[in-house]
Amino acid sequence: MAFEPREDQKELKYDELRIYSDEELNNYTEEELKNFKVKHDISMLEDLESGPWPSFIADAKRGALHRRKLADDRMLIERDVIEDMLGQLQISFKDGETHWKHGGIVGVFGYGGGVIGRYSDLPDKFPSIAHFHTMRVNQPASKFYHTDYLRSLCDLWEYRGSGMMNMHGSTGDIIFLGTFTEQLEPIFYDLTHILQQDLGGSGSNLRTPSCCIGRARCEWSCIDTQDMCYELTHYYQDELHRPAFPYKFKFKFDGCPNCCVASIARADMSYIGTWRDEIRIDQEAVKAYMGGEIAPNGGAHKGRDWGPFDIQKEVIDLCPTKCMWLEDGKLMIDNKECTRCMHCINVMPRALRPGEDTGVSILFGAKAPILEGAQMSLLTIPFMKCEPPYDNIKENVIEPLWDWWMEEGKNRERLGELIQRQGVSKLLEVLNIPPMPQMVKEPRSNPYIFWKEEDVPGGWKRKIEDYRARHAR
Amino acid sequence: MEDIKKAILDFAENSKKTKFYFSDMEKAVHKVLPDAKTRMIKKAATALINEEKLIYFSTGSSTMYGLKGRGQTEDH
Ligand code: HEM
Ligand code: HEM
Ligand code: SF4
Ligand code: SF4
Repeated sequence: MAFEPREDQKELKYDELRIYSDEELNNYTEEELKNFKVKHDISMLEDLESGPWPSFIADAKRGALHRRKLADDRMLIERDVIEDMLGQLQISFKDGETHWKHGGIVGVFGYGGGVIGRYSDLPDKFPSIAHFHTMRVNQPASKFYHTDYLRSLCDLWEYRGSGMMNMHGSTGDIIFLGTFTEQLEPIFYDLTHILQQDLGGSGSNLRTPSCCIGRARCEWSCIDTQDMCYELTHYYQDELHRPAFPYKFKFKFDGCPNCCVASIARADMSYIGTWRDEIRIDQEAVKAYMGGEIAPNGGAHKGRDWGPFDIQKEVIDLCPTKCMWLEDGKLMIDNKECTRCMHCINVMPRALRPGEDTGVSILFGAKAPILEGAQMSLLTIPFMKCEPPYDNIKENVIEPLWDWWMEEGKNRERLGELIQRQGVSKLLEVLNIPPMPQMVKEPRSNPYIFWKEEDVPGGWKRKIEDYRARHAR
Repeated sequence: MEDIKKAILDFAENSKKTKFYFSDMEKAVHKVLPDAKTRMIKKAATALINEEKLIYFSTGSSTMYGLKGRGQTEDH
């Protein structure tokens, strides 16, 4: 189905929107960079530059030199913002404690998320970072950009902010790092009115949904991750911008179990594309792999000689459910035992493809370690059809789930923690779905498992003495 | 809607805390209006934000509400 934007999309032209000339953007030489000294002592930070990876310190120095050389009226916040940030960071490294104050009431009008207030607690020493607010910019689905858009965005941020940004935060947003309160509304105005760009989520709301590259580039995508991400982002605007959840809530969409956006590890609600019919097999191509005519793994391991391809060792023996075998030179799969792990398909993409009856698996409750340790999400709905506008998922899954969590969740309790506290059986009841044998951890130990308190006369609290009066021990 | 807004403001003005979670506000509304739906309470809170009577307070990871002018002011 062709993509239908919810509103007309203008074509952005950098030449019309640009703030800086080419000379201003390239305003220092590599020679000048070598001799450049940040105005504060940053010796400990500079150690980081000697490591094997590109260092953000090296990038920050470039930004600092660039700002040194811009004319006064070409930046709306302090010139020294990057140098002061580095100076404060050096002190934090030395003392082992942060100098950022946590939280605040800044934001753009009507939005409860998208802006995170940050202030230095050493404002006299580092006045340029007295305010250092972060803004989250909602990345487009799969992070496809037009360079005209990116350049316009960068110019806007150089002009009204520190110029430093992070591509991308863990929810996928483009992160603008560091500006003053009075710049927030003008930036928001330009983003929304000129660049047709919304802010993302932060705080106790739906966070910016994110998706894998999906059908745009990947033949394995069993669902249209981009369409779904776009649709749910628009449909749940109120949840994204007006926080009323107990805590954060993340949606992530992966087109197949390879899980390129790691939805299973990072989302309260993970959508993973899958199929319920059979893996498609091209036996001629299987033979070609076995005969060494096609490189396994799309040629990804060519850097070293691993010897001839061995289908038994590299595919069949590694199948986690041992549901594959060779029969008369043909590759056989017992599809009802296949867990859709993608391994065989990844190794032999020209011979094996996901099935054609595709849909989504839905999993709940992944989170980072703050309480109870890190948790992966729990496979709860093994298969569901997944077609726009996804009403079956919105009405039968998302909304009952949110109603439960908003009702029962404690402040700052993630969905995964609520599931732990009240039990998987409660989750299944909320979603009105039957349990699967895979969800059972051990034989039942409580004969009352079938009973709910409201079904028992007197509930759990009736007096044992009454009973004992009639029945001796 | 107006009665929910009033219940929220009463709570915000009389609460000992200057910042509170949505669920605290919800509980306070339910004391006065037991049948108020969460969705309506959220709508009322949003309306109060838009009327600049309530403010959001965010740490970045979680969000609280407050009465404008009470507790923390615009800057710091
Ligand atoms: C070596 C002897 C025994 C073994 C290995 C054994 C093993 C088991 C096992 C594996 C279960 C299934 C647990 C479940 O699915 O929840 C079970 C259930 C049960 N057994 Fe035994 N059992 C033994 C002796 C007995 C005796 C002597 C009695 C009664 C006098 C008994 C009464 C029961 C009852 C009533 C259940 C059902 C419990 C429930 O489902 O909640 N068992 N037993
Ligand atoms: C006419 C007499 C009886 C009938 C028709 C009957 C029927 C049943 C049935 C249908 C179940 C299965 C419940 C389930 O789905 O788990 C059951 C379970 C059981 N019955 Fe009986 N029963 C009778 C007598 C007794 C007696 C006399 C005892 C013990 C003294 C007893 C002990 C149990 C126990 C321990 C269970 C397992 C309960 C559970 O863990 O779910 N039954 N009975
Ligand atoms: S998750 Fe699957 S469908 Fe999405 S990009 Fe990765 S391999 Fe392709
Ligand atoms: S997808 Fe995984 S589980 Fe299924 S047949 Fe291939 S290797 Fe086995």
